[in-house]
Amino acid sequence: MSSTPPGNGALAPPAVELRGITKRFPGVVANHDIDITVAPGTVHAIVGENGAGKSTLMKTLYGMHRPDEGQIYVRGAEVRLNSPSDAIKHGIGMVHQHFMLADNLTVLENVVLGAERRFGIGNRARAHIRELSSQYGLGVDPDRLMEDLGVGERQRVEILKVLYRGARTIILDEPTAVLVPQEVDELFDNLRELKREGLTVIFISHKLDEVLSVADEITVIRRGTTVATADPGTTTARELATLMVGGELPVPELRESTVTDNVVLSLDGVTVSSADGRAVVDGVTVDIREGEIVGIAGVEGNGQSELIEAIMGMRPLTSGTISLGTDDITSWSTLRIREAGVGYIPEDRHRHGVLLESPLWENRILGHQTKAPSVRGPWIDRAGARADSERIVAEYDVRTPNIDVIADALSGGNQQKFIIGREMSGSPRFLVAAHPTRGVDVGAQAAIWEQLRDARAAGLAVLLVSADLDELIGMSDTLHVILRGRLVAQADPTTVTPEQLGSAMTGAGLGGGDASTEGDSGADGADRNGNEGGS
Amino acid sequence: MSRIPRPDRTLPAPAAAAVAVVLGVGVTAALDLALLWWAALIIGVAAAFAFVAWSGPLVPDERRAGADGTKEQGTTLHTTLVVPTALVLAVVSGLLSAWFLDLSLIEPVAAALGALVGSAVAFTLFHRLSAMLALSFAAVLAAGVIAIGVTAAVLFFSGIPPLPTFARMIEYGTRPNSLVKIINDGTTYYLAAVAVAIGFKMKLFNIGVDGQYRLAALLAAAVGGYVVLPPVLSQIVVIATAVAVGGAWAGIAGYLKVARGVSEVISTIMLNAIATGITAYLLSTDRLAVEISTNNIGTPPMPESSWVPGIPAGFLGSEQEIFGFVLLAVAVGIGYWVMLNRTRFGFELRATGQSQSAAEASGVNVKKMVFLSMLFSGMVAGLVGLPQLLGSSHYYALDFPTGIGFIGIAIALLGRNHPVGIVFAALFWSFLNQAAGILPFDGIPQEIAVISQATIVLTVVVVYEVVHRWGRRYQQQQIGNQLGATAESTTEPAQAVPSGTASEDGSADGGGDTAPGSDGKRDGEAQ
Repeated sequence: MSSTPPGNGALAPPAVELRGITKRFPGVVANHDIDITVAPGTVHAIVGENGAGKSTLMKTLYGMHRPDEGQIYVRGAEVRLNSPSDAIKHGIGMVHQHFMLADNLTVLENVVLGAERRFGIGNRARAHIRELSSQYGLGVDPDRLMEDLGVGERQRVEILKVLYRGARTIILDEPTAVLVPQEVDELFDNLRELKREGLTVIFISHKLDEVLSVADEITVIRRGTTVATADPGTTTARELATLMVGGELPVPELRESTVTDNVVLSLDGVTVSSADGRAVVDGVTVDIREGEIVGIAGVEGNGQSELIEAIMGMRPLTSGTISLGTDDITSWSTLRIREAGVGYIPEDRHRHGVLLESPLWENRILGHQTKAPSVRGPWIDRAGARADSERIVAEYDVRTPNIDVIADALSGGNQQKFIIGREMSGSPRFLVAAHPTRGVDVGAQAAIWEQLRDARAAGLAVLLVSADLDELIGMSDTLHVILRGRLVAQADPTTVTPEQLGSAMTGAGLGGGDASTEGDSGADGADRNGNEGGS
Repeated sequence: MSRIPRPDRTLPAPAAAAVAVVLGVGVTAALDLALLWWAALIIGVAAAFAFVAWSGPLVPDERRAGADGTKEQGTTLHTTLVVPTALVLAVVSGLLSAWFLDLSLIEPVAAALGALVGSAVAFTLFHRLSAMLALSFAAVLAAGVIAIGVTAAVLFFSGIPPLPTFARMIEYGTRPNSLVKIINDGTTYYLAAVAVAIGFKMKLFNIGVDGQYRLAALLAAAVGGYVVLPPVLSQIVVIATAVAVGGAWAGIAGYLKVARGVSEVISTIMLNAIATGITAYLLSTDRLAVEISTNNIGTPPMPESSWVPGIPAGFLGSEQEIFGFVLLAVAVGIGYWVMLNRTRFGFELRATGQSQSAAEASGVNVKKMVFLSMLFSGMVAGLVGLPQLLGSSHYYALDFPTGIGFIGIAIALLGRNHPVGIVFAALFWSFLNQAAGILPFDGIPQEIAVISQATIVLTVVVVYEVVHRWGRRYQQQQIGNQLGATAESTTEPAQAVPSGTASEDGSADGGGDTAPGSDGKRDGEAQ
């Protein structure tokens, strides 16, 4: 584990070399003394926890901001990157995690947008796109409308956009976060194709199994600096994870069972249809009891979000009933459901959980705007809401100077801790927890698990939806697998392995001896959701 | 500052404030004998401010943090921006109050009292002004300077000397009768702007205030003119009619938006046109109107018992009267503030405006909120025509002022939808209108005021948004700094900023959300 480049880089100058990169934001060092050497024609993975400084580093490399110290070399020559267009001029392109494509334009129009001067906007551009597409095996038809394309194809269009602009080094920022396992495999095939054609890929991820399966070299970033360079052939996921976290990982686990016989929430044949009439949640029947955590495993986009929204009254049911205790809440409004004692930790906290521009104490009121201590009749109870916010900040260890700062000023983990504190207040009977530890640092993760355990011991019923298989296995009393809107399998969390769960999530069934494994990571693309914890 | 010696003990806040005030007033009164009053006052307030700054660290004050809660004393931003802004604001408030008092008091007394106000403001602002608020003030000041600069350039290139023109406008605009007119017009503008602001807070663009108030005023005037009722009851009925008509007219747009998803921008523009048609139809001698004068028709004049008495403006030195409706406008402003900041409804309204998805997930009935805020906006819009109707003309005729709804949009933008901000914006706007009235006599085109108004709205919106973004990032860094966080706190919020602002489609806040975001820039740079 040295930071010297591997032997194959010795002949040609490295595609990209970063030397002593330091980037400070006032009061905070986001990156310091970063040294990375990327050999040409390789897939170089950069792994690190959320918030370790990967994105800051890539923004530096893509010219979105200037480093305070250090040098960047491209093919052996020092460069100064003042803007993304400088980076592109030096053959560095970036595919962002969130696609930047116009749905109502064709592939061709999306690709040439902003690069009209290269090959015009007509047949010459079309021919060039076709050529690139076949050269790199991307299979992109320039005349299709963007809105007709799936996620994987969109990503290939993004890659094509970068290639079209003449990039020889492509940065992919968490490219697999939005893909289903099959698409991940396809993406990796594309990456190998790019590599074969002599291009260099910098691949940012925190999913170690993927990194181990595709990368030629791995650089680990922790707390803003490079801590190690690893060879995927000789490293295990667990070793990488330890490097990333710098210590032993916390493990989600439940102690003794607290499940009782009292059913708190009961779903009976719940079916939700999308706008085009397709059933996105299909006949889901499940009971959640007092003191029980029911986990839902599944590849993202298989109906989890719709199921949650149906429970929360944000999406109408096509058929089926939902009961809370003895009440049929199928047709209740979101407010009434919340008032009846249902807490909600949303999967996308920025969209559904907080008002980013409001102070913390106002965020305390959100979702609880009809209950004490937030309000008194039609009036906002400022003193009550503030006092209770102070309590949440203290009890849930929310790191904030005070409760008057806007929510946006806090880190994601602290926002999440505040949301959990808020949703736990007023002693709910039932909690919907969607990805409760997503984007949260390791310390906060452990704290959140602890709080869920405590609440469960106190009799809370929890529906846990997560993409983190270790979390699901460790935290659930009962575990269901959702696939295309149906609960296809029930697993015993005490015996199931992430690999088995991963294969069930893709429809191969729990028995899953067919989970084709690569390397010693013990999982292929199907297990893309295995998080830092590895398997 | 820190090099200046200070006694090694604390100074209670009231004592420090008292010393500052005495110092300010004393210096001003003394210098007033030798200098012009305003020069004396500037020096006096500056002296008081200097004392406050010097004594600042001696005053034990737990709450000496900004409203955003970060410790700000001693940071670069604080010394370079907050302190100078506080100084400028203190001097300006001192000058303004002295000038205002000078209208009814003798000069030395007015100057001394002005210095008192200025010194008190100096003390308060130095200790209380938060960085974010200071940034807002600085943004508005900067925008004002830019707008004046642009106007001066336009004048200069038209061959008109800018400075004498400005001097002439200020001189005319501060005459007693002008002041009364400014307050009266400002009252009307204020109501229009509050009506627009209620929508803006929800990201709803109520362009229809214009149609709403015209229709409301016509029908209210007709009720007042045809139905004879005892005093007080008569006014109440007229006001209730106007509110009901305005609310109903805006409610149509609200209903269409909720039930059919029709953009409120389109529907309110259409409703404006329909309102114009309806008023033209009704305002004929066959229907509601009677002949008012030889070539003017209108609703029958209301009996005097239905009028709202004016407030004599003797204290401004004018014989004219201020609309009694100024009190209603104040009440509307206070009501708007209380509704927004203290009630559950206002919280839900702001939450929906900030993030519709979050509001929905929190159990806010977004459709109901859209409809209700449109309704309330229309109800306030219904009041817009009443100061004129009940305070001055007493009938709705062909010459009833039009276009106030659109002015309201500009003023709401200028006042950043804040009940107090809108007061200043409305007064400033009507000051420009009134002051420009003198220009044709000097052969200068009056449109110069319109250019200033347009420039200032544009610059305020743009500068404010830029400063606001910058301030937010600064605040995040301050907090990261304060918590001693490592990389975590910088990367997370950095990603959060674009997602927070870009997700709103900016349909309501005009230029507010259209400043270039990092997402929008990328394609352009990609070439």
